[in-house]
Amino acid sequence: MLNPLNLGLSLIFDPLSIFFQAVIILIAVPAFIYSFEYLKAHYSSKKIILGQVLFVLFIVSMLAVVSVSNVFMFLIAWELMSLISYFLVTFDSEQEKSIQAGTIYIVMTHIGTAFLIAAFFLMYKYCGSFDFSVIKTMLSSMPGTEKNIIFLLLLIGFGTKAGIVPLHIWLPYAHPQAPSHVSCLMSGVMIKTAIYGIIRFIICMLGVSSLWWGELVIVLAAISCLVGVIYALMEHDLKTLLAYHSVENIGIILLGIGSSMLFIKLGLIPLAILAMCAGLYHLVNHAVFKGLLFLCAGSVYNATGTRDMEKLGGLIKKMPWTSAYFLTGSMAISALPPLNGFVSEWLTLIVLFLGALAVTGGLKLFLCLTAAILALTGGLAAACFVKAFGITFLAKPRSVKAESAKECGTSMNLGMGILAFMTVALGIGAAYFIRIIAAVSANTLGAETLDFTLNNFILNPLGKGTYLSTPLISIVFISVMGITLFSLYLFLGKSKVSAGPTWDCGYYKLTSRNEYTATGFSKPFRLAFSFFLLPYKKLQKIKESHYHIKSFRYETHTTKIFRKYFYENLLGGVFNTAKYMRGIQTGSIHLYLGYILITVIILLIFMGRF
Amino acid sequence: MELFIVLGLLATAYAMVSAKRVSTLIGNFRLQALFLCILTLIEATKGNHPGLYSVSILIFAIKVIIIPLILFRISEEIKVNENLGFFIPPLLSLIIALILTYFSWVLAGMVFTGQETMLKIFGTVSFSMMFLGFFIMIFRMKALAQVIGLLAMENGIFLLASASSGGMPFLVEIAVFFDVFIGVIILGLFVYRINQLFTSIDVSKLNRLKG
Repeated sequence: MLNPLNLGLSLIFDPLSIFFQAVIILIAVPAFIYSFEYLKAHYSSKKIILGQVLFVLFIVSMLAVVSVSNVFMFLIAWELMSLISYFLVTFDSEQEKSIQAGTIYIVMTHIGTAFLIAAFFLMYKYCGSFDFSVIKTMLSSMPGTEKNIIFLLLLIGFGTKAGIVPLHIWLPYAHPQAPSHVSCLMSGVMIKTAIYGIIRFIICMLGVSSLWWGELVIVLAAISCLVGVIYALMEHDLKTLLAYHSVENIGIILLGIGSSMLFIKLGLIPLAILAMCAGLYHLVNHAVFKGLLFLCAGSVYNATGTRDMEKLGGLIKKMPWTSAYFLTGSMAISALPPLNGFVSEWLTLIVLFLGALAVTGGLKLFLCLTAAILALTGGLAAACFVKAFGITFLAKPRSVKAESAKECGTSMNLGMGILAFMTVALGIGAAYFIRIIAAVSANTLGAETLDFTLNNFILNPLGKGTYLSTPLISIVFISVMGITLFSLYLFLGKSKVSAGPTWDCGYYKLTSRNEYTATGFSKPFRLAFSFFLLPYKKLQKIKESHYHIKSFRYETHTTKIFRKYFYENLLGGVFNTAKYMRGIQTGSIHLYLGYILITVIILLIFMGRF
Repeated sequence: MELFIVLGLLATAYAMVSAKRVSTLIGNFRLQALFLCILTLIEATKGNHPGLYSVSILIFAIKVIIIPLILFRISEEIKVNENLGFFIPPLLSLIIALILTYFSWVLAGMVFTGQETMLKIFGTVSFSMMFLGFFIMIFRMKALAQVIGLLAMENGIFLLASASSGGMPFLVEIAVFFDVFIGVIILGLFVYRINQLFTSIDVSKLNRLKG
């Protein structure tokens, strides 16, 4: 028998690992460049050194997670990653909020790890080895029920890290609280290591053994998409908004991965490869544009000292570069062509439609519905970023801080610039990148590399005759748009242009207090989704007399239903149990000694019995 | 001969359980240590383990002379009343001690199955000494009783080790003695400080410290 704890530091460098390593380094380098100036603006020199050391360790631990070839080493690297990111979340340790966010994060992440450990030990019990390749060969003969249990454990474990609903609870707390370049890395890359785990352990090693695995992943992913984007719409804190979008985008990635699992089980290998390719492509795209957006948010925070959108505004004039970068990121995340977000969301949609054509029965409907949800998500995301960009960068400054904002310096600009460039490059060079990623996913699934170009996968329901070529549609669309715009310019372009105050609506005495707010902008969505958001208002009037109201206060909030109806009950239960258990803690030494004696005697009796 | 001494050990343990005053407790502990010392000496004369001679000398020096002296000094210096403070009165304690001895007998039967009766008696006595030491720690209020209870338990462990395997290695023995010695000194200081702070060494009052 092999020594189970043969902990030689053996690494794997198969295409999947290399892909993830590349993604990590792709985001880490700009974030590192960005961090120099960002840290200098906020912290003392000692703390900067600490921050940079932790940051580098964080990158190394993430690289370790995707490179090791041994379950035991994987767990160690995983834990290391969680702990270091905890220290980075609580980096502003003097702020109460950071500590609270860190606590939620570390508790949730450890619950996830507990599930992972359970799954790994079940695997070990069956295989007698911690090595990836041994486990893979041994697991193929495992009975179905145990596979199901391991699948569920792994899904919960990795799902906690990835932040799928309803395990996303830590994400909107932890990500905004870290320094911006760390949020960039956490949101851009760290949660993706969970996707790596799902692909490596569930798809590669466990093998998809039932249809419902893929369906479950797709359902969870679809819910994550919707919930993430709806919560993001309600958010006024720039970084929290971005964190909720991470939930949404993890959902989109998992839609690809989940449908890949579904197609593997159905034997549609080319589709499975395409689906995983869509997922992985969205993974790298999300890493790039979400990293970019977080860096921009950090730059805004740096300049104004606040992340509350209601206090920002008018930044496009003060910070033109940051605004341009943020706009690029917003367009990408809203899936507007020709940026990268569009390509991967479009691919995911294509996959879902092609899948719907290929399968039979209820699955057809299922996949179509999923596609519809994805489309809705894209629309809502666009609305959300109209809000985020419009309220933050347009209009007049809503506070003194926003008015005195200044553009950030070279190193921050460079960091954002690299990511913005990649956002564009990954969109325009999609045809090239997709081929690489398709090779990665084909290798991961153990199939031959698909030789395809984008045009192989056009919607062609009849298999012959006329068909709608997507590139053709877009060319027609773009030319029609161009002609329309040109003719509009011909007819109207000669009229005089007059400059006026921003968002003044022709009335020249409006101040920033009269402007459209983020709360106002999201009101229609709050009403439309009120069944889920459960909004409530608080009114407070202080009256001087019956006729004269001295002050008037209006608040509107939404109920976080997962938090309120699930986590708070759970926590309440834990605290009640703890309070109950506190009864045995009397503080008397004699009683404590007595506990020891009783325990010893009971154990001895127990020993005698068995 | 050995049997008598072992029974003497048990008897001193009972005497410690039923002791009402601090000085009686210390005196009984000294007697127990003396019995232990003689027992070790007898084992040593059998010639199997020459190291036991020095061990018995160490027992005599530390447990029979030095530790009781320290304890007497502490109890004189802090000048509290002699009463030990009972959660359970001496007579009831004695009955419980008998029950614990029976339990030890059963336990020794489980551990030393199929071996000579003498070994079983050794086991019984040493388990009883541990349990009774623990008993003193739990049901006597004065901090000095905790110290002595701990020492009595240590005696029991020593007896068990010497009965079942002819004693621990010499180096380990020395280390244990040193440990016990330091333990007594620290606990003595601890008792002294408690007395200064609370004007009492009644450990049951320590729960006032609880937040």
